[in-house]
Amino acid sequence: MAADNPIDPIHQFEISKIADIQLGGIDISFTNSSLFMVFALAATMALFVIGLSKKSIIPNRMQMLSELSYNFIANMLRDQVGDQGRAYFPFIFSLFMFIFFCNFIGLIPYTFTVTSHLIVTFAFAGLIFIAVTIIGFVKNGLGYLRIFYPSGIPIFLAPLIVPIEIISYLSKPISLSVRLCANMLAGHSILKIFAGFIVMLGFLGFAPLVFLVVLYALETLIAALQAYIFTILTCIYLNDALHPDH
Amino acid sequence: MKILLKAFLLTAPINFAYAAEGQKSAGLPQMDIATFPSQLFWLVITFSLLYLFMWKFVIPRLGATIEERRDKISNDINDADNLNTEATDILKKYDEQMASASQESNEIITNSKKAMLDHLEMLKKENEEKVNSLISESQAKIKAQEEKSKIEIRNATLDTVKAIVSRYIENIPSDEEINKKLN
Repeated sequence: MAADNPIDPIHQFEISKIADIQLGGIDISFTNSSLFMVFALAATMALFVIGLSKKSIIPNRMQMLSELSYNFIANMLRDQVGDQGRAYFPFIFSLFMFIFFCNFIGLIPYTFTVTSHLIVTFAFAGLIFIAVTIIGFVKNGLGYLRIFYPSGIPIFLAPLIVPIEIISYLSKPISLSVRLCANMLAGHSILKIFAGFIVMLGFLGFAPLVFLVVLYALETLIAALQAYIFTILTCIYLNDALHPDH
Repeated sequence: MKILLKAFLLTAPINFAYAAEGQKSAGLPQMDIATFPSQLFWLVITFSLLYLFMWKFVIPRLGATIEERRDKISNDINDADNLNTEATDILKKYDEQMASASQESNEIITNSKKAMLDHLEMLKKENEEKVNSLISESQAKIKAQEEKSKIEIRNATLDTVKAIVSRYIENIPSDEEINKKLN
């Protein structure tokens, strides 16, 4: 894994500064990571600005695409949370679009995958965890603590169940962030490794090339799927906060 | 807080490890704490912008468009339903009119048939009467003629007999005598 290795699969995750910015001794430089965050933002904006530029009753393709994504997330939120979830729709929708575009832009060769960095996914997961906990206590008061003791459990099992529930609750942000980050990290590393095999094997490289094509299709699926999983789990956690009884 | 601490503990040894080695490329770039403030800072900025964009621009406009379309579709369906009801009514009226018209025409046909038959019957009767009277008249005439002929034949016979007898006999018989013989 030396830096000078041309097919170092980890090299693609390295963060390099584009513009050096220091603020009060803290390094907040504009990096390639920041650049691709801006790309994800720009891609989302482009989709909706073009899609909404001509509001018509019979939608064209771009409008169809933007409406499909809107309805997809709106239905997900309604199915998981119900009508109380409407207030959180802008956040859930933004979350999905941002992760979706970060994952997809990262699939293009020589790009950077923002969501392959644990700190980014953990920032989202941590924000969701804190927000959900606050929402839970605001909406239910101390009754929110019931989620640690599900109804219908005999009292003598409480010493066993309650710690398990607490641990599982506290591990939610970790599992949420690690799932997304690890999927991106592993997938992109494997893609890079097999791309390296093609170069190394010379004209025999068609075998890993075929495999790479299949793997790329799988990674495309995973990019969409992980954005979906991250979003739907957020909806489920939100539902737990709004309705701790079930 | 516990989570943050955990995350820090997870990442710290690796960072310390390659900080000691003085080699930046060793280990996962994901564990390089030095890049965290920059990533978080730009994440907050880009995601906040995206959130604002979604919240203030996309969702109201998309929601309105979808709502508008739903209204339009339901209005159109309503209109179609109304027109359908109207058409059904017209069809019903048409059927009713057709039924009454066909009933009327049936009545007319029945009536005219009856009238025709009555008229025919009347004519038949009249003709029969006429024919019957003609027949009886002719029969009477024939009878009269028969009677007349009978008398004429008798008279002729009488005359003939008289003539024949007078040829052979001097004494001519009287009419009564001849009649007696004839009978």
